[in-house]
Amino acid sequence: MSYLSISHVTKQFGDAVVVDNFNLDIEKGEFVSFLGPSGCGKTTTLRMVAGFEIPTSGKILLDGADITDKAPNQRNVGMIFQSYALFPNMTVAQNIGFGLRVRKESEAMIKQRVDEMVSLINLEKHANKYPYQLSGGQQQRVSLARALANRPQVLLLDEPLSALDAKIRVSLRAEIRAIQKSLGITAIFVTHDQEEALSISDRIVVMNVGEMEQVGTPFEIYNFPKTRFVANFVGSLNTADAEVVDPAKGLVSMDGVQFEAAEGTDARKKGDKVKIAVRPERFSFASEQKKANVVDCTIENITFLGAVVRIQVKIGNTKFNMDTFNNPFLELPKIGAKEQVTCSKEAVLVLDE
Amino acid sequence: MASEKIRKVVEMSGISIDLRVGKGRGRKSWSLSRLGTRFWSWFWFILGALYFLLPLYATLNFSLRMERDVIGFKAYIRAFEDPEFLKTFLYSNVLALLTIVASIILIVPTAYWIRLRLPEARRIVEFITLLPFVVPAIILVFGLIRIYSSPIKIPFTDATLFQPLTTFEVGTDILIVAGYMVLGLPYMYRSVDTGMRTVDVRTLTEAAQSLGASWFTIIVRVILPNIRAALLSGALLTFAIVVGEVTLASFLGVPAFGPYLFLLGQHRAYEPAALSFASFLLTWVAMGLIQLFTGGQGQAAGAH
Repeated sequence: MSYLSISHVTKQFGDAVVVDNFNLDIEKGEFVSFLGPSGCGKTTTLRMVAGFEIPTSGKILLDGADITDKAPNQRNVGMIFQSYALFPNMTVAQNIGFGLRVRKESEAMIKQRVDEMVSLINLEKHANKYPYQLSGGQQQRVSLARALANRPQVLLLDEPLSALDAKIRVSLRAEIRAIQKSLGITAIFVTHDQEEALSISDRIVVMNVGEMEQVGTPFEIYNFPKTRFVANFVGSLNTADAEVVDPAKGLVSMDGVQFEAAEGTDARKKGDKVKIAVRPERFSFASEQKKANVVDCTIENITFLGAVVRIQVKIGNTKFNMDTFNNPFLELPKIGAKEQVTCSKEAVLVLDE
Repeated sequence: MASEKIRKVVEMSGISIDLRVGKGRGRKSWSLSRLGTRFWSWFWFILGALYFLLPLYATLNFSLRMERDVIGFKAYIRAFEDPEFLKTFLYSNVLALLTIVASIILIVPTAYWIRLRLPEARRIVEFITLLPFVVPAIILVFGLIRIYSSPIKIPFTDATLFQPLTTFEVGTDILIVAGYMVLGLPYMYRSVDTGMRTVDVRTLTEAAQSLGASWFTIIVRVILPNIRAALLSGALLTFAIVVGEVTLASFLGVPAFGPYLFLLGQHRAYEPAALSFASFLLTWVAMGLIQLFTGGQGQAAGAH
């Protein structure tokens, strides 16, 4: 049996169904991210696990116990908020020790645990400072330590990095993941940032308008999106209208240009309207070794993005982006030049129109 | 053109920023305009300050001239020597403290719950809190006397719930504190509500709940300490209202400071002025204490 089980959970606010029949089993020590655009129901689902919202129907089981209707302070669940939510009237040490004081632990135990937590987040020198004397990143680390001090069964993180600048965000997410792994704590992380979700999670739940679109490892979600929404939402994607030419061979035609796909055509018949999708990094300039999906194109534009160079090419009447890693010796084609690009047949995703 | 637009925006917002990007003439006119803005700011500030300070100075000056051609504290000495002064002043202080405590107990959970769970009720509650501005104290006190000067019976029975509150001392004290709570409601509610606006009450509550805190713990250990500056402001205003209040105290016949000052004013000239100035000083000391104890730290912290 799974450690945290969210079973057939639906949440309605008035007539609006915000979360619809959500089912998810999470194993102990697993790090799961809820990824989706604003209003997709990810935060509401998290808040139902925290106890701040009660599901309209369905059950939430934690370590076998039904916590669906339990008050938030009766669940042993730690929560981290986007706005840090540190108590402004308390120092770092007092914030971290708050939950332990509520539980009426001994002062010696509280001190020991606070010291442990302060050292875990490397803020030993700041233990007696007030939240307003800390940077955003430091405040969020204190928030993490405060949530962990109570040894919660599940750690819930509600867009904890959204208010931080890009560099701190990257370093803090690595820190969160490292601490979560070292403590072996089960965690649910809500984000709308796909890069964050992909880099930090064991599994990702992609959500859209209250429903789960796909659950899988970051690798599966990125490389094998099951729906058009997931394909579009996670990573960049080139899409174009196409028509099935030969379902058995996986051939589809876009503006008369043929692409061969590894899968996705078996259940279709000749003449079916579909969308083909190819990630920009799956294209490359054609060389002699690569024989599949070699197509003519014209170079339309070149954009330097730092580590990546994005080349816009026109295949038939459709513009596609092609990403290639930057290096100082990269020879880039001229704009307007006629070239050939290629991608493997596995790179061509055939989606519903 | 762009710098002109920026200047206009800055002027409208009242922020003083030195935009040293223009050439000679533009910079000169900008400096002149800034000087003009500063002049008018100071002009209005000084005018406003004089409006408050001149009557105060007149009161002080008058209170020091009890003896002909001598400036001295005789009026103060005589006022403080009167045993009635200390008695009524202490009594009013006790009433003020009771009113403040009762108001906090009533208003903090109300304002908190409205912010947390019933935001749609805010307009109704704000309207109710403004009623004391519209309904005069005389109406309030007559209403209180009318209702509580006869025994309160359990509906549809002859059983008496409690004796008329106006017939015994503690009962009258309860009535007057309740009346003062109504008079202080607009100030206390607004102070508390504004204080709660400066901290993210909802998220702090949820954070405390997720750490296992009960409602009582959340209010006492998280909410109250973070709105203490607002509470102190509300308490100070309530204190000022109660200590100087005349109407309720006179009609309920309690030995409070307001009626004492009023009676003194009818018989003496200099002592009431001395006491008015002394009570003003007391208010300023209280405000100083608020600054000293809060230091802006509690409230400011929430904004970071």
